[in-house]
Amino acid sequence: MKETRPLVVIGIPGDRRTGGIQQARSRLGLPPAIILPYTGLLAGQTLAGLLEAEGILDMQNRLTSGMRAPLLRLDSPGGSFEVERALIALGAPDAGDYNDALHPFGQEQDPFPLSFKTAGKLREMPGVLHHPSQWFRGYCRLLARLREEASLVLPESRWLNDPQDIAAMTDKRCTQQLLASAGVRIPRPLGEEGIRVDYASIREEMHRQRMHRVFIKLACGSAASGVIAYQMNPSTGAEIAVTTVGVEHYITRPPIYYNSGKLRRYTDSRTISGLINWLCRHGVYAEQWIPKSGAGGASLDIRQLVVLGGACHSIARVSSTPITNLHLRSRRMTPAEAGLSGEVQEEVRDTAVRALAAFSGSAVAGIDVLVSAGSGKTYAADVNPFGDLLYDVEYQGFGTYEWELKQLIKEGHL
Amino acid sequence: MSEVKLVIGYDEFEDGQRIADAIERLSMSPEAASLSSLIIGDWGQAYENSSEEVVGELVKYSASFPALRKLFIGEMGYEECEISWITQSDLSPLLPAFPELQSLTIQGGNELSLKNLQHDKLEELIIITGGLGKGVLAEIAASKLPNLRKLELYLGVDNYGFDGSLADLTPLIEPGKFPKLTYLGLKNSEIQDEIAKAVADAPILDQLDTLDLSLGTLSDEGAEALLASQRIKGLKALNLSHHYMSEEMVARWQKSGLPVDVSDRQTSDDDEDWRYPSITE
Repeated sequence: MKETRPLVVIGIPGDRRTGGIQQARSRLGLPPAIILPYTGLLAGQTLAGLLEAEGILDMQNRLTSGMRAPLLRLDSPGGSFEVERALIALGAPDAGDYNDALHPFGQEQDPFPLSFKTAGKLREMPGVLHHPSQWFRGYCRLLARLREEASLVLPESRWLNDPQDIAAMTDKRCTQQLLASAGVRIPRPLGEEGIRVDYASIREEMHRQRMHRVFIKLACGSAASGVIAYQMNPSTGAEIAVTTVGVEHYITRPPIYYNSGKLRRYTDSRTISGLINWLCRHGVYAEQWIPKSGAGGASLDIRQLVVLGGACHSIARVSSTPITNLHLRSRRMTPAEAGLSGEVQEEVRDTAVRALAAFSGSAVAGIDVLVSAGSGKTYAADVNPFGDLLYDVEYQGFGTYEWELKQLIKEGHL
Repeated sequence: MSEVKLVIGYDEFEDGQRIADAIERLSMSPEAASLSSLIIGDWGQAYENSSEEVVGELVKYSASFPALRKLFIGEMGYEECEISWITQSDLSPLLPAFPELQSLTIQGGNELSLKNLQHDKLEELIIITGGLGKGVLAEIAASKLPNLRKLELYLGVDNYGFDGSLADLTPLIEPGKFPKLTYLGLKNSEIQDEIAKAVADAPILDQLDTLDLSLGTLSDEGAEALLASQRIKGLKALNLSHHYMSEEMVARWQKSGLPVDVSDRQTSDDDEDWRYPSITE
């Protein structure tokens, strides 16, 4: 095997993702990837400084002689409270002279912003959604900074997934717009841009469109964070919100919203309106609730990994609730075990490939694909830029990271 | 045996498709004559539209389905419609329209009615709800179903339409009410203990093979009454799954040597001590 490019991963050293990548590299006989920690970059270290310390750049901030330009990979910043807090601080209005160019809705104000200093003092509380929109703003600022720095010091380098695409994939409003304009089938959005301002306007729009069952999603949430399966009964006016978001009420201060491992089911309008209004202030995306296909009354969706235009690993997530994310104790199956015909599986793969193709600067993503129980049609519901952390699933005998590395080498990207 | 399920999903309904047309098409199809089981799923936004149209069409075309023995009205999951939001209607016209029917399953209790419930051949009546109204219980109590072998009622909770009490159930277990009954399910109830105590020593047990008190809030209180009964010893199956009995009580059942199902033990939430039957939605 000829000398490959170095792989530089911006991530969280020692977590399951960076660990998985290193393990895959070692299995393939490749030198370890260079892991640059988010914490360092957020504490003021520059990309150039870190790359120099790793020997990629020389003292003049030029690519070390004899070295091939690296492939840059961003991985998930999730799972570390320290990183989360630093990103919220970076999203603060007084965080300094930052660039919001990668934030798809950067001109909109975040509600009740936390100052840089206050954000830095946030305490870790399990599951608490401290400030989703400010977190996303901070993340977009970091992405813009890294993109800029890389283009200056490593103009020859490539991104596995362009930071601009990662910002777009992390904002569901933007993702669905891009998918729709690329002709990928998505669940019908509830209304036009800009009208989902609060609980009342969402209900009004649901009535107007006769769309009585919707998913309301935090625009910048990942996994099931801030997702509500919401329905209202046009005859009785009753409403039900099934969600992972729990609420803690206080007398003297606003409620705290947190992600619960247990699904909640709210039927009282006060709690529901409070929850939806809170999500709306942070930005929401709302779409038709497609009745998801599933064996024996269960719901399922497919997480389909796509690498360099090819569909590979896939998992059916089967749940007895409308929210199918794996960490909510869904059962995992192969699509065939879940009862999807060969034809439907082919449709799922095709939908996922076309969804990733809507992001021209990206080589890898995990696409969540729904199969409608009625029509059997497939819909792209979500594009996860870090959607390749899938355990115990092989494609042609390889795990996800190994397969990616092999494809990248084969296509000359590594 | 051949089976067909008809469904009008949300999008199909919005596109103008109707269950009436689907039933009419089926009645004219070659398979109609030999169809033995028909399942009506979502008939089109069942939270807003009742099953009245389904009933009307099935009655109108009943002669096209001479082999029909099993009928299910309202088989749909929460991805389509909450059970407690399914709008039923008066289903009683179906019975005289299908005199050879053996099995009728109904899902959803809102606006459900079974007036003049009389049928010589019906063997199974299953009603799955998040809350069954006492009006329907009274109609079943007044029914004439001489051939009924299986009666399975998901009673549900107050919040979703169960407005009855034990007094509404006792007429159903009177000896002679259903002379051929061998399977009795009074289940998915929030008064499961009261029901257990009432049936524990009821004479109807002598004719039953199966007593099904599953999916409700059964606790040690109801279980004690059952264990103390001599009559339950003649059962071939006692279904108590999805319950709130203690581990000790579960162990007593397991040692009893009785054909009992005590699986799926529920524990009350740590922070909020309220119990709920399995299907309430």
